[in-house]
Amino acid sequence: MRSFLTKVGAFLWRDLLTDLSYRFAFFLQLGGMIFSVAVFYFASRMVDPATAGLEGIAPFPWLLVGIGFQIYFSTALYSFSAKVRNEQVLGTLEAMLVSPTPTSIVLFSSTAWDFTWGALRLLVYLLVAVLVFDVKLHVESPVALFLGIALTLLSSAGIGLISASFILFFKRGDPVNFLLTMGTTFFGNVVFPSKVLPPAIAWVSDFVPMSWSLHVVRGTLLQGAGLADVSSQIVRLAVLTAVLVPAGLLAAKVAIQRAKQEGSLVQY
Amino acid sequence: MDYAIEGFQLAKSFAKKRSLKELVTRPFARPERVEALRGVDLHVNRGEIFGLLGPNGAGKTTLVKILSCLVLPDRGRAVVGGSDVRKENEVKPKIGLVHSDERSFYWRLSGRENLAFFARLYDVPGRRIAGRIAALLERVDLVDAADRRFSDYSSGMKQRLAIARALLHDPPILLMDEPTRSLDPESSLALRAFILEELKGRDGKTILLATHNLREAETLCDRLAILVSGTIRQVGTVSQLRRWGMSERQVRLEVSHWHEGIAGPFKTVSVERIDGVHRVTVALDGDGRLNDLLAAVMAQGAVIHACDRVESNLEEAFARLLREEKAKVTA
Repeated sequence: MRSFLTKVGAFLWRDLLTDLSYRFAFFLQLGGMIFSVAVFYFASRMVDPATAGLEGIAPFPWLLVGIGFQIYFSTALYSFSAKVRNEQVLGTLEAMLVSPTPTSIVLFSSTAWDFTWGALRLLVYLLVAVLVFDVKLHVESPVALFLGIALTLLSSAGIGLISASFILFFKRGDPVNFLLTMGTTFFGNVVFPSKVLPPAIAWVSDFVPMSWSLHVVRGTLLQGAGLADVSSQIVRLAVLTAVLVPAGLLAAKVAIQRAKQEGSLVQY
Repeated sequence: MDYAIEGFQLAKSFAKKRSLKELVTRPFARPERVEALRGVDLHVNRGEIFGLLGPNGAGKTTLVKILSCLVLPDRGRAVVGGSDVRKENEVKPKIGLVHSDERSFYWRLSGRENLAFFARLYDVPGRRIAGRIAALLERVDLVDAADRRFSDYSSGMKQRLAIARALLHDPPILLMDEPTRSLDPESSLALRAFILEELKGRDGKTILLATHNLREAETLCDRLAILVSGTIRQVGTVSQLRRWGMSERQVRLEVSHWHEGIAGPFKTVSVERIDGVHRVTVALDGDGRLNDLLAAVMAQGAVIHACDRVESNLEEAFARLLREEKAKVTA
């Protein structure tokens, strides 16, 4: 475990140093986040607070939490495949894979910075919303909030691993993520409530995991909901995690083995 | 015998890239395969520099990748440091890979930062990392450039950093894939001296060196294998390989005078006159003995100043082998 954490630390330090070497872009991103929060605030002022599906939450915090958390959760979706591809293109993947560190640890640790940076971005979003735009957060059950976030990240990571397996195998094309992002943004209660959709397709939203995740996060963060209030969504997320994480690990194992067999592990 | 690296009937083929036309017209057809290795047997002794010499596309890099656990063989078995390459947890701590790809480092990080990152991956204990990196930087003469960005390094410096990385965990076996490919002559010479004096001489590492540079192979390697079209055609010491394929033994004499018939039954191959001395190459074919040749020449009153065996150089032997291979393919 200690060795694993040490390696995660090495990846974090590497990526922090790399990001800091692009100082202008680094601070520009921070500035951009603050600006985006302001855009969400003024855009949400166009929305009628009585819109169906907002569940009594003001449009601005509803939108902010939806978009902020979707961006964070999508880190788990995209980071694995993006990192694999990036290391392939940089030419550093081979140097890492020839080291005694198992490929699975290389894969996981590579994404550590993306998760950390994503969490920091989310924190900045929330801080700006609280400090500048007077959003009130009511976290009554940190456990429920933590479970909601952790299970969403894990289940997304499962899909992310399947997606990275596509990259390892087909080198390009990422159909898993493409379809998921489209579906999630449309049906996941991210930017607008699914209740504003035509009834013929609105039901799809009940089967989209992002809807469950955002229900938990909005409830626990903005409405003071407890574990019991969001237990049904948490159970669903737990089941999803139990299926997707092993599936993702299996897909990655098979893809790595096949890529080694085909000799295409470091090709892009 | 206890070998550092062994290969038994290693075979590997890769799917051939298909053209757009093929992809459209026969999307589900099995792609053709190109054989990169065809039953390679290999035995590398501990502590030797073993050269893998071959033209581009001979299968050298594929073999190195199999030995470094990056590619799995289709058939056959490879054992590195006593462990099968399929057990990569056992093999990887025993090997260091140095290849010619300059892109294998993070260009925005300094040399020291790059090494610190890889030291973690190579399981160097945290408290030993700084000291190990400092020692390696000194050995590869990069102390002054240690905190400069990798992108500012010259090709020679990049290659030296690659060697430092491969040595981080002090592996007994080094796999080097054309380490001097992108270097200028001066840097190549310095790197060869480092490999010979430091890595082999001081550290006693076993080194498998894949190269198509004959001069490099000749200078560095204790033994060589010539790999052509995925098959090892010859294995031996440099002098054995130089002689390989020569149809006759030849000697070079430096004598006071020379005329036709002076060598008796022996065939004169060439005669040069330099500063009053005749330099003559004579073929000792069949049962011809050197003693008989010298006796014949001396009997004619010539004074022999020097006598050497003529050896074919590696280049000639290699070219001969490629010619043979080409003739075989044509046939």
